[in-house]
Formats: sequence, structure tokens, C-alpha cells
Amino acid sequence: MRKWYEETAENGDVVISSRVRLARNLKSYVFGSRLRDADAVRLVKEVQDVAPLVKEKDGKRYFLCNVNRLSETDREAMVERYVVSPTLAAKKQETGLILSEDESVSIMINEEDHIRIQAVAAGMDLEKVFAEANFIDDILNEELPFSFDDKLGYLTACPTNVGTGLRASYMMFLPALMMTGRIQKLSEEMGKFGVTIRGIYGEGTKSQGCMYQVSNQKTLGRTEKEIIANLDCIVDQIIKQERDRRGYILREANEKTQDKVCRSYGILRYAKQLGTEDAMALLAQIKFGMDTGLIHLKGELNPHNLMMDIQPASLQKLIGKNVGSLVRDRARAEYIQKKLPDIE
Amino acid sequence: MLCDICHKREARIYYTEIINGEKKEQHLCEECAAEHTSFSAGKLGGKGELTLGNLLSSLLQGFYNGETKKVENEDLVCPKCGTSFEEFSKTGLLGCADCYKSFGSAIKESLNKIHGSELHTGKRPKGYEQEKAKEAEKRIQELSEIERLSIQLQQAIEQEEFEEAARLRDRIRELKAEEDQDKEGAPNA
Ligand SMILES: [Zn+2]
Ligand SMILES: [Zn+2]
Repeated sequence: MRKWYEETAENGDVVISSRVRLARNLKSYVFGSRLRDADAVRLVKEVQDVAPLVKEKDGKRYFLCNVNRLSETDREAMVERYVVSPTLAAKKQETGLILSEDESVSIMINEEDHIRIQAVAAGMDLEKVFAEANFIDDILNEELPFSFDDKLGYLTACPTNVGTGLRASYMMFLPALMMTGRIQKLSEEMGKFGVTIRGIYGEGTKSQGCMYQVSNQKTLGRTEKEIIANLDCIVDQIIKQERDRRGYILREANEKTQDKVCRSYGILRYAKQLGTEDAMALLAQIKFGMDTGLIHLKGELNPHNLMMDIQPASLQKLIGKNVGSLVRDRARAEYIQKKLPDIE
Repeated sequence: MLCDICHKREARIYYTEIINGEKKEQHLCEECAAEHTSFSAGKLGGKGELTLGNLLSSLLQGFYNGETKKVENEDLVCPKCGTSFEEFSKTGLLGCADCYKSFGSAIKESLNKIHGSELHTGKRPKGYEQEKAKEAEKRIQELSEIERLSIQLQQAIEQEEFEEAARLRDRIRELKAEEDQDKEGAPNA
């Protein structure tokens, strides 16, 4: 079965993926910060017991696991593929996961909130992923009574998520805005409209490979539809700006830019050791070159997939054993060489 | 629509009263309704003239207890989970769903800062409205005869059935008189 990130999609030159997260809490438990270990075990079981109903209604295959009992490498690899959040992966207390086979739906249990429903798809389609998450929400709610207040909506551990509990986000590829030093300014402008931009692995993480996560800040006082429409409106603007800047770069510095892209290809093709950050930056150049027609590859390449594969833990899993960073850097270089098609 | 008294908060209670035979309509926020109408749950059936408010709607909205006693935020502790407001200020995390009520106005303040709003307008759980209606029904069942009659009285006024309203008002007065007599008759019981 193809994973969601193996699909190709519209606006794929700028928007890599669409993601929705719904925060929910059960009436019968206190929030995470006060939850005792025994109750965490009960909570995880209670939610995972609903998995058969989810399977039945959704028609997808689902897998269950207790994330806290996995190895560190497995947990990190899940974070690198956005299957679980860094918060969930770091938790020592019992945590659970219900994950669809194509990894497009993941239900995290005992994260900051009791339940975090996440749905994701390639390209720009928040409405679709919201519909999916909403559907899962209804199924869970049939069996699990959620904390809901008439005025405040869904009650969450942190008041920044209260109301809809909805965090909608796009992962965006913004090399031209980055090269022209526009991200900071953009971030300030977007803040006025309740939209934030940050690195791909969530709060406090820095950008890698020109990838950014753009999401709504406010969850209360607006309907889910309004939140998504507002975000779409801002993201349309960002797409336009990014494309304008790409056009500008191509017009003003075509040869220089092409040189940079081709040098990046050369390094990826022939380097013997590649660190994660290095490889991310170089792959970003390749994606940029492919999207703008500066280079043509003979075979197929999904640069974003490759970016996920070469993250430390994911690579570790490909190698199949725990190795030091030098061995990993060698393996990374080899892996990329295998995946990189020839230039036309 | 804004509240007719404070002109600040959203009016959520449609309130009618009859003063000297004249019908007066007002749209009030919960705070002002509780203060102005003596219709908060605690005061119902207490001393003084029974003022007519839309008890039904305030039942459906959940009780507002009208206590506006100022408490220093730092001293607030959630009775259910034991989380203090100070802890919350440090971690940004609440301990349980009840914390939202326990930290009352302080939470509202921060919600306004974060979201520019303190009112949810999005999705509601499936079947939520029915469950709420059931709960209200249950609360009504638990009311005393006088309280129930006063709801009917309010409804009669809203539908401008003043004859029926007068009948209900008289019946309420009778019951109250009986109650007072009972109290006087057996003060040490
Ligand atoms: Zn008012
Ligand atoms: Zn609490």
C-alpha cells in the first residue's frame, strides 16, 4: 500500500502536505499534567478499545502500539515521519497510538491532551484532511464522552487549543522566499492574521531543507470552516509570493542559480559522507531545480520522501542496526546516490 | 446584541418583567441578569418578591451563581485537581476540565488575549443538544412547585397570555404564604 507521502499532488511545487490535528479530552480523567501512571494505562486502553470500531467504519487497516514501550530509534523515526509528535515520543508515561496503514490517520493517546487525532495528505487539501479527522472524531465520540463546554467548546489541557481544538497546517517548500530573506517579514505579516510559520518538526524547531509549517494560531471564536478558509487565504498569498520570487531569481540570476543547483547535484552524486543538515539543504536545491526546470532528471525522484528517509533515526532503521554518526553519514551518502537518477 | 444594562457583554437572556401592569422587555447578559433579576439559582425561593426572569433559558445555559467576589488570581486553586493558578501560569497547562471554571475570570482574560474571543462557535459533539435538553429536563424535575410555576409564568408572559399569568402569579403567592405559615407554625421543627 502506498503511503500518503508517496502520492503526488496539486501545488506540489510549494505545498508539500496538508495536516489537521484535533485535540480532545475524556470527561472521566484529569488532564495529562495531573494524570497518575495507573490512570494513563487505563486511558490508553480505553481509547485503543475503540480501534475495532474505527477500523470497521473507516474501512482502513489500523495498527496499535504503546509508543513509550518502543525503542528510542523507533520513536524518533515516527517523529521524523510525522506519525507522532515530539511531545508524545518523549513521554515516559504510558502513551498509545492508533495508526492507519497508509499513515494518513494517527490517533495519539495521552499526548498533551488525552487524544490527538491527526490526518494528513499530500498537496493542498485541508478540507479533505479535516473531513477525515472529523469523521474519526465522531467515531471516537460514540464510545468516549469528551469534555465539552457550552461556551468554551472542547476543553483542552492548554487554553491555546480550546474551542475547536483544531490546528490546521500546511507544510510548505519556500526556497525562493528563504534565499531572498523574506521569511522573517512574512512571519510578522502573517502573525497579524493569526497564522504562524515555523520549522517542520513543530514548535521551536528550525527550518530544514527550506521546509516550513504554516498553521492557525487561534482555535476559539471561529468555526473549523472559517479557520481553514482563513489559512487557505494566507497560504494562497504565500504561494503567489514564492512563485513570484522564483520567477525573479530565474530572470535575474539564471546562470548563477543553475550553477548552484548543479553543484548541489554533483555533491549529492559523489560525496562520501553527508550530514543530515547538509543533505537537506542540497536536496532542497534539487527540488527547487526540478520545480523550476533548471535541471531535468531521467528517472523519478520525490525529494521530500528522500528528506524523510535520510533523517537520523529513519536511516538507522534502513541500515538495520545502531551505528555511530560517521557510519550514518556514509550510509546517507550511499543511500542518496542509489536514489538519485541521472541528469538529462 | 449587547446587554441593555452594561452595554458591554453579549446579551444571552431575554428577560421580561411587569412593573405596574406594564410589560418591559430587556436583553441582558448573564452577569447583569443575575444581579438585576434575583433570578440566580441560589436566590430562587428565598425572601423578597419573586421577580420574573427567563429561568428556563438560564437553566439551559447552565447556572451563573452571581458571586462576583474578587479573589486574587494567585491564590486560586482548582478544588477538583489541586492545580493552582500559579502552577498554570508557569506551565501554561491546566490540570483538569474543571480548571476552566475554577480559574474563572483569569482564564477568560487569557482566552481573550490568545484568541480574541471567549466563545466557541464551532463543532459540537453529536447528540450534545439532546443531552443538554435531557439535563435541563432533569433539573426542572428537581425544582419545587413554586419554581416550576414561575417558569410557566415567565412563558405565559412571553406569549402574552396575561390572564394565565395572573392566575399563576396568584397561585405562587398562595404557595408562598403557605410556606411562610408552615415556618411560623413550626419554628423549632
Ligand atoms: Zn450586562
Ligand atoms: Zn482542575
